[in-house]
Amino acid sequence: MNKDILIIGGGIAGIQSALDLAEMNYKVYLVESLPSIGGKMAQLDKTFPTNDCAI
Amino acid sequence: MLDVGRHSNIELLAYSEVENIKGEAGDFQATVRKKARYVDEDKCTGCGNCADKCPTTVPDAFNEGLSYRKAIYSWFAQGIPSTFTIDTDYCRHFQGKKCGICQKNCQAEAINFEQEDEFLELDVGAIIVATGYKVFDPSRIPEYRYKQIPNVLTSMEFERMLGASGPTEGHLERPSDRKVKNQIQDLQKKLQKAEKSLKKYEEEYQIDSESFYSQYKQDNSSEDKEKKKWADKYEEYLGLQETLRPLQEQAEKFKDATKVAFIQCVGSRDKRFFPFCSGYCCMHSIKEAIIAHEHDPETTSTIFGMDIRAVGKGFEEYKIRSQNSSNVFYKRAKVAEITEAQNRNPVLTYEDTKEQKVKSEEFELVVLATACEPSSSTRPLAEILGIDINEFGFFQTDYKNPLDSTKPGVFICGCANDPMDIPESVAQASSAAARAVQVLTGIGDARSDRVSKAS
Repeated sequence: MNKDILIIGGGIAGIQSALDLAEMNYKVYLVESLPSIGGKMAQLDKTFPTNDCAI
Repeated sequence: MLDVGRHSNIELLAYSEVENIKGEAGDFQATVRKKARYVDEDKCTGCGNCADKCPTTVPDAFNEGLSYRKAIYSWFAQGIPSTFTIDTDYCRHFQGKKCGICQKNCQAEAINFEQEDEFLELDVGAIIVATGYKVFDPSRIPEYRYKQIPNVLTSMEFERMLGASGPTEGHLERPSDRKVKNQIQDLQKKLQKAEKSLKKYEEEYQIDSESFYSQYKQDNSSEDKEKKKWADKYEEYLGLQETLRPLQEQAEKFKDATKVAFIQCVGSRDKRFFPFCSGYCCMHSIKEAIIAHEHDPETTSTIFGMDIRAVGKGFEEYKIRSQNSSNVFYKRAKVAEITEAQNRNPVLTYEDTKEQKVKSEEFELVVLATACEPSSSTRPLAEILGIDINEFGFFQTDYKNPLDSTKPGVFICGCANDPMDIPESVAQASSAAARAVQVLTGIGDARSDRVSKAS
């Protein structure tokens, strides 16, 4: 049984999964097709319903 | 994002794509193509000197094409990794022209035109798919005239305009006004160039161009080739001034937009495109209207929709707040058509279902709350992974185990699963991480037998 995990997509969902697993001491490969991670959320200015900054 | 870059347990493979997957839960072999950036990741410091000097400008996809970047670029300023990338579709070097300016100006010597794609073989026990969504292209709805009327935008374009680091630095400039301003800039550059060459003649002949030109016209002597060139240049100069003047007069009257309309369900809940509700768009429009009002308290927004779906923690309160303190109005209406007034403002024709009357109203900007469309990578990735997609094109999941794909050990979260907002994506992502651990440890995975029954 291999214990490493592959995550495809580096948007908010992929980032959250990666951080959770890395904190649980699993080795994670995070693959993103664009030059940087962040996905659609990085394009957002603020988020509802708290108007917090997205990045 | 920064934490991902720093965490010792995360190997970040940006600008990479999964090419092939073999094996089964607990023992997958993945082939990942690390696309050549033509910039050495270890050497690049992200200083941006290359992009400053690069002569080629390209529409900036991160800003939804509302601004320009260079052919060597970082996806966005705070991006992780901060490594620059060469866009070979536009780069002069890769288009067979002589250039290499970035290479000359990179002090870290990170530019490598010979770089090739790398292939990595990874052994993993579980896979989480979080490939997100695509913004629906509203030009598929002809009556809204997106792209034809410049002041009709998608909610993502409007979002970039609201951003302080965006193309308009948070100002609601009408795109038609920006176009005129860009035209003015271009003309001014040309004018400066023309002035420079006129000056050369003026110095040589010790006479200003205006006097020379009137003399030249009187003499009607076009035999001297140099003088003819000078006269032509002067005519070009006058022509440029002539074109520039009315544009400048027009631009003096420009002011930021303060009357905004939002149209809901653009592509969603529409049997021509997607019958489902995209979920987040109502709240997204409300948020954009609130932020626009924060930027300029004169701003009023009208949200046109069948109904407002403010389902979520604190969402209804947020909507009420928008009505009470952010000049946001709600109209139960389906917009039939958008046309353009002479002043370039979009005009909406709609049926006010409360009064049962067809009305029309002019706005300065119109924002289309576009549907959440399955990402274009969904279908090819489903084939690579050997998993199913559903009737709308999202990954198929099991209704009892909503993160399980049709293959054990492969989990789907976020908008790759179904349209959802950020809090739900985050919750699903943590949940998918937990499901992956259950598979890898065998602990707490009493439900694994249900996986095969995915529907």
